Amino acid sequence: MPTQKNVELPDIGDFDAVDIIEVLVKVGDTVNENDSIITLETDKATMEIPAPFSGKVTSLSIKVGDKVVQGDLILTLESESETETDSEVETDSEVETDASSDQSDNKVIDNSEATVTSTVSQDNIKQPEEVSLKTDSNSHASPSIRKLARELGVSLSRINGTGKKGRILEKDLKSFVKELVTHGNLNEEVEAIPLSRIKKLSGKHLSNCWNTIPHVTQFDEVNIDQLEKFRKHQKEKNIKLSPLVFIMKAVVQVLKRHPNFNASLDEGGENLILKKYFNLGIAVDTPNGLLVPVVKDVSKKSLIELSEELADISLRAREGKLDSSEMKGAGFTISSLGGIGGTQFTPIINSPEVAILGVSRTQIKPIWNGSSFEPTAMIPLALSYDHRVIDGAEGARFMAELNQVLSNIMEMLL
Amino acid sequence: MIKTQVLVIGSGPGGYTAAFRAADLGKEVTLIERHESLGGVCLNVGCIPSKSLLHTAEVINETKHASELGITFSKPKIDLKGVIKNKDSIVNKLTSGIQALAKARKVKVINGYAKFLSKNQVTLDGTDEVIEFEQCVISVGSRVTKFPMFPFEDKRVMDSTDALLLDDIPKRMLVVGGGIIGLEMATIYDALGTEITIVELGSQIIPAADKDIVNPLFKKIKKNYANIFLNTKVTSMTALKKGIKVVFEGKDAPKSDTFDKVLVAVGRTPNGILIDADKAGVNFNENGFIETDKQMKTNVENIYAIGDVVGQPMLAHKAVHEAKVAAEVICGKKSGFDALTIPSVAYTDPEVAWTGKTEKELKEAGIEFKKGIFPWAASGRSLSIGRTEGVSKSLFDSKSGKILGMGICGTNAGDLIAEASLAIEMGCDMSDIALTIHAHPTLSETTAFAAEMAEGTITDLMPPRKRK
Repeated sequence: MPTQKNVELPDIGDFDAVDIIEVLVKVGDTVNENDSIITLETDKATMEIPAPFSGKVTSLSIKVGDKVVQGDLILTLESESETETDSEVETDSEVETDASSDQSDNKVIDNSEATVTSTVSQDNIKQPEEVSLKTDSNSHASPSIRKLARELGVSLSRINGTGKKGRILEKDLKSFVKELVTHGNLNEEVEAIPLSRIKKLSGKHLSNCWNTIPHVTQFDEVNIDQLEKFRKHQKEKNIKLSPLVFIMKAVVQVLKRHPNFNASLDEGGENLILKKYFNLGIAVDTPNGLLVPVVKDVSKKSLIELSEELADISLRAREGKLDSSEMKGAGFTISSLGGIGGTQFTPIINSPEVAILGVSRTQIKPIWNGSSFEPTAMIPLALSYDHRVIDGAEGARFMAELNQVLSNIMEMLL
Repeated sequence: MIKTQVLVIGSGPGGYTAAFRAADLGKEVTLIERHESLGGVCLNVGCIPSKSLLHTAEVINETKHASELGITFSKPKIDLKGVIKNKDSIVNKLTSGIQALAKARKVKVINGYAKFLSKNQVTLDGTDEVIEFEQCVISVGSRVTKFPMFPFEDKRVMDSTDALLLDDIPKRMLVVGGGIIGLEMATIYDALGTEITIVELGSQIIPAADKDIVNPLFKKIKKNYANIFLNTKVTSMTALKKGIKVVFEGKDAPKSDTFDKVLVAVGRTPNGILIDADKAGVNFNENGFIETDKQMKTNVENIYAIGDVVGQPMLAHKAVHEAKVAAEVICGKKSGFDALTIPSVAYTDPEVAWTGKTEKELKEAGIEFKKGIFPWAASGRSLSIGRTEGVSKSLFDSKSGKILGMGICGTNAGDLIAEASLAIEMGCDMSDIALTIHAHPTLSETTAFAAEMAEGTITDLMPPRKRK
């Protein structure tokens, strides 16, 4: 005998209303138990709500964009088999009403651990009776707080009240649950460390860059066999040159042909300010955070001069002895993590600049030379550019030319 | 066959509350009531008609003492029909109000006597009508306990329902049972001119309350009534032509006496078994109460039970709160019955009310407590209304100072006790109560004074000497 049954929003572990971002069924659909029926979005997670039992959808009570809370009617299902309901009922009666505090705590964690997409546990739908009714007479809490605790499945005896004479307040309950949700276990030790001044400043700047600039990142790998041979040769003569100085020279070479990359966007985003000089920002890792000193007039300096200057500013950056004027005026920035590792990363453009080059670690790779695989030193490059200023084709062209110059270092002489 | 999502059996305060709450939460609800009017015992033959008659009694008693105020009334003429009409009109106002609320909520009301067929069906007794439900709330209440040794077949032997009908004003009446119901009925008949005798098996009237709280009432009625026999048993009752002959067994009572009428108020029996709840598989305990958990759920998954049918105290306000829990749980809410206290009130003259733990309960449990007793003879307001006999007693945890219980005897004690109930639920300390400014002059002040007595900060009396 078919019976109509309401499907209500189960306990989703959140106490505010949540948005319905998707309705996955329509009237007339037949759904099986555990099929997803709607998708909810909270500020923490997206979760799909499963059908608690099988049946045919006879009415929908919600639509996309609605805000729902636990207990709201979602839809009505016409269920076919009566026997199935009976068996469900029987399992339910075995559930103890006095849910132990452990059980209820787990529930809170389960629900909140949904990071990207999770399915609400079926148990929550079938066991509305799993309610904490342990009113500890030593807990100092008013009836409304006891009600809230019951709804959240929290045993008050686990909470230290901050109110007068240890009264448990609503905020105590909420912060207890929040703590559970955030850290899972209250016994796990955590420590709050204030961010360094540099991180606080650069953090603001970085998130502004990330949020306002439409980034595109172009990847490439460059054959630097020639460069490496040259470096080795110089090293034998006790002249130490890092790959970075070659990259700096090559970048300047290409910037000359692509002035849009050596530029900045004015504040209104209306004008591009082209720079007729070639100052490169070099990202330096320091104990207190990221700093970007500027090497000025790169085009006018020799590889050796650049090498010496780099060593000097990196050292002073790490010692915190850089003058603020030394961190201004760049037209383009290079961030090299080659000394540390990694195959690629996507650098964030240092606004108001419009492009940045990320350098990862050189690897020896088997490269097909036309007749055989040859062990070849390949350096990964990632070019992030501001898509408001630079087109994809232009970005690819810049990268191709940089590749060309770096792999044939004689071109730097041009 | 009628189908419904939620079936509520019995329309007393618990039943209609459950029905209305479930309807408000979106359920389709059917309410079965065996009597013509809704409201159950409370509205029809309990709390409400008795309070109407008690008010009549109060007015009569006020006029008796008016001469002290310098006003003399002639002896009142009692028009019994008029008294009954007033009572009935109040009852009708309330029961028709319930009817209107049911209609407004689209709760389907069926008149009949429900009996279970299975865990999903009831039938209306004496008909073929079957009602199928998804969830059920049993709220069928209780009935007067009728011991076969009492000849109830004689109209002169009454239960509380009969007594409320007020067929006549007997000359001499015996009240068997010195509990709340018996004493309230005695108050009514005494005011109307009946000579009252009370017989109680226990050592005090209102045995559940502390003796010191009951004492002002006891002293007053001991003076007014013909007799109060404590520790006394009624061994037999015989209907004779000239009256009901009652044989007593007790130190102070005569061997026997004959009364024009006898009111038997020795307790109430739960009705669960009358509706064949066992056919649905519902478990009962040895006292005939249906067993439930704190969410009012019986052992049968879809059947809930509330009110008198699930246990003591048999009080409307307990039923109402249980009803909300049951309805909310049915509608998927995480409700539970976790009230810390259920206040009790005897609407006698003076009233007796208590909440939380009594002193004897604390002693039995071995809990160390501090008490503050304030005699109303020191209350300006009580004296102004011509009453000197009241007392307020509050009990506090001796370590934390938290309120554990309170008892009040005096005018409006039933209304005054609400503050103490709230204090218990909120976990107040004696200083919270003492430091809360109570308006002067009010009877409510006595609650603060009792706390001050416990604290030793009282100024309206000499504070009790500290024993340390």
